[in-house]
Amino acid sequence: MSMTSNGGGYGGSRDGGGRDGGRRGKFSRFGARRRLVLPEEPLDYKNVPYLAKFVSANGRIQSRKRTGFSGQNQRALAEAIKRARLIGLMPFVGRV
Amino acid sequence: MKLQRTRTYECMCLLDNREVRKGWQPLKDAVTGLFTKHGAKILSSRRWDERRLAYAMRGQHRGTFLLVYFAVDTQGVAAIRRDLQFNEAVMRFLLVDCAEVPQTAYEPEAAFDVNAIPADDAPPPPPPAPPEEPMGVASSPETSTTEG
Repeated sequence: MSMTSNGGGYGGSRDGGGRDGGRRGKFSRFGARRRLVLPEEPLDYKNVPYLAKFVSANGRIQSRKRTGFSGQNQRALAEAIKRARLIGLMPFVGRV
Repeated sequence: MKLQRTRTYECMCLLDNREVRKGWQPLKDAVTGLFTKHGAKILSSRRWDERRLAYAMRGQHRGTFLLVYFAVDTQGVAAIRRDLQFNEAVMRFLLVDCAEVPQTAYEPEAAFDVNAIPADDAPPPPPPAPPEEPMGVASSPETSTTEG
């Protein structure tokens, strides 16, 4: 029995659609029900109460999967949190 | 040949409360003088807040934030950074590019009483050590055994 079939997972080329095999909706990175969230307030390092919503109890920045932000907004969020940490407005470790 | 280009920057300075208590206006003038010394034009300079820090710096648990908006030639930013690092009153600073100055920056600064700053700069004292019990008291057979 030869292993010629490429069943399931990434990399299938059954439909000739490229790496995802044309099944992007079913096997997308964040699931089929991904929603795009826009920030309700400006992502500024001075806006500490809003930034604190996206930090875990240990002080870690939440992933894009949890925040639902676009790549651009997620980068702005991470930059704002890191700036707030540097100036002493937010802790590096622990809750705000 | 140096390229002359003026940009607007935002600088958040974290000031030591021990220096702030000596006088707010002289300290503010001294810090803004670091910018004007290198050809910067101060657009706005006001106290942002006085609050508790997320972590202690130089043994201080509170600090006063000074927010400065200024326009300067891009060649002068490095000199301003260097002077801010050497200044003893500035514990931390954050200098970022700013597209436009917000309208709130032009509002008049609220009155600031340096004597009203809470005096919890010092780190909390360590918890008192439990009183030492004499050796052998807790393990003596008279106290550990029960008579039935």
